[in-house]
Amino acid sequence: MLRRLQRKTLIPAQIAGYAATLLVGVTIVMLSVQLYSDIKPVLTQQTDIFRNHAVTVSKTVSTLNTLNKQGIYFTDDEIASILEQPFVKNVARFNSSSFQSTASISFGQQTIRTDLFFESIPDPYIDVESNEWAWDSTSGFIPIIIPEDYLNLYNFGFAESQALPVVSQGAVEQINFTISLYGKGRQRSFQSHVVGFSGKINTILAPEAFLLWANNEFGSADGGNTSRILIEFADASDERIPAFIEQNNYNIKQDELENSKMVFFFRLAILFVIIVALIIILLSVAFIIMSLNLIVQRNRDLFVNLYSIGYSPRRIARFYQQTVSLITLADIAVAIIVAILLRGFYVDILSTMFHIEGSVIPIVATAVALAAILVVVYNIIILRTIRSTVEPTRNTD
Amino acid sequence: MSESEVAGSDIYLQPRVLFEHGKKYMICARSGHGKTSLLNFIYGSNLNYDGTITYGEPVASPFDLRLRKLSYLFQDLALFPELTALENVQIKNSLTGHKSDDEMEAMLDSVLPAGKKNQPLRTLSLGQRQRVAAVRALCQPFEFLLMDEPFSHLDRETSQAVADMVMREVDAQQASLIVTALDPIDYFHFDTTLNL
Repeated sequence: MLRRLQRKTLIPAQIAGYAATLLVGVTIVMLSVQLYSDIKPVLTQQTDIFRNHAVTVSKTVSTLNTLNKQGIYFTDDEIASILEQPFVKNVARFNSSSFQSTASISFGQQTIRTDLFFESIPDPYIDVESNEWAWDSTSGFIPIIIPEDYLNLYNFGFAESQALPVVSQGAVEQINFTISLYGKGRQRSFQSHVVGFSGKINTILAPEAFLLWANNEFGSADGGNTSRILIEFADASDERIPAFIEQNNYNIKQDELENSKMVFFFRLAILFVIIVALIIILLSVAFIIMSLNLIVQRNRDLFVNLYSIGYSPRRIARFYQQTVSLITLADIAVAIIVAILLRGFYVDILSTMFHIEGSVIPIVATAVALAAILVVVYNIIILRTIRSTVEPTRNTD
Repeated sequence: MSESEVAGSDIYLQPRVLFEHGKKYMICARSGHGKTSLLNFIYGSNLNYDGTITYGEPVASPFDLRLRKLSYLFQDLALFPELTALENVQIKNSLTGHKSDDEMEAMLDSVLPAGKKNQPLRTLSLGQRQRVAAVRALCQPFEFLLMDEPFSHLDRETSQAVADMVMREVDAQQASLIVTALDPIDYFHFDTTLNL
């Protein structure tokens, strides 16, 4: 009976308007969050380096320090001061080999030999996945990673001009050669082959464990000077980074930050869309609250009469709390379906360009969060409005 | 109200006024002398007074007494025009389940013309509505029944019928009665008459 009385007080057109605007707002917010979580891995996952926001930093080689090489090394103090920067999460050194090494390959009688060097960085910063990337001094095998650019230089430069055949990465990985290490009057040979090509790290990489062992065995245990370091940024899009790099005259591969800038702008664009959508949601919330206020104003007598005969404000508010909560939840449920359908469309388009993986958890999580916030807010506001309408007040004058 | 308006009042500006259990009080005053205000003060729907009102038990708000100890026949009736006469009674009774449907219908039948109880309230005359409100006020447990000019729209005969119905319920609940009126009325046997 109470329900029947109160149902008549609702204004269907206003509720429909609320449902429609809320649907639009919630759908956009959910889709934006989903799009962000779908696209971000595509932009950042290209290399492990970027997942870590780490970039290779060296000092600028100028005519002044071609002979005095101290100028291109990072001192311990410098590394410590880099670590102190608020936007720097971690610094990793490139270890370099401090012993003589050669690589040799035999074709029947003929042996080609070349001098070689190695560097190493901690494994998490390596952008190549290989199950052969491991060092065991008893195995007699050293895996190495060379820059992608080396192969490109040969294939597109040298081979082209000399009319030589081009080779694939797979073919290079099949070539076995011998690596010999010399130092401290010792010599030892290992089998080796290329296990991967790095697009980001411009050096001949060997496992860090190997280099530590070999430096100890054949060279100086401290590994010598550090000319290159990896800086892992907390947020690579931090605007203080370019200034810091500039100020210290460090050298950084510009495009390494470009990608992060793209992520930053993408994030900014998504944020903007989310803010607009949140404003739409806020407007819809304001709209339904105004509608409820209008209902309360129009039906003031009804509510006061109910209160007079003993209905508590909580009981009077309950119908409106339930109605608005139910509409909101149903609306958000519809928005989830709409958002998932729309995501299907953009995934279809984007998956022709990228590999999109991931679930619709962001949509659902956003929906649950929005639903919880809205329902709580409505329940509080409605009860307060009813209470302030029906409860007598004492004039203060 | 100014002090001169309430001069000589048995209630306003008195150091202490006690309404006792089981007694019947009539409060007489001319229009605008605060009869409704007094009942509203007691019922807790008007807080604009100086002084204190206590209820024989500590309460956070007089609202807490509305379903157990205080019932009120409002001068403006506070009925719901969209509902039928019977539904107007039921919506109150459903809070406490004090009366059965049969009892409510019987009470309405005793004071309303036949067939009226199932008609929308807005089709009833003012006097008929006043009777519906009276029935409604009886449909809950109470220790004090407040009635604000309960017979203002009723003829003598109907007033007596309503008063008899009220007395049966008041006696059954061994409750007190506080009735306001413009002029003294004799439908009840009042223990005390107070002038505002």
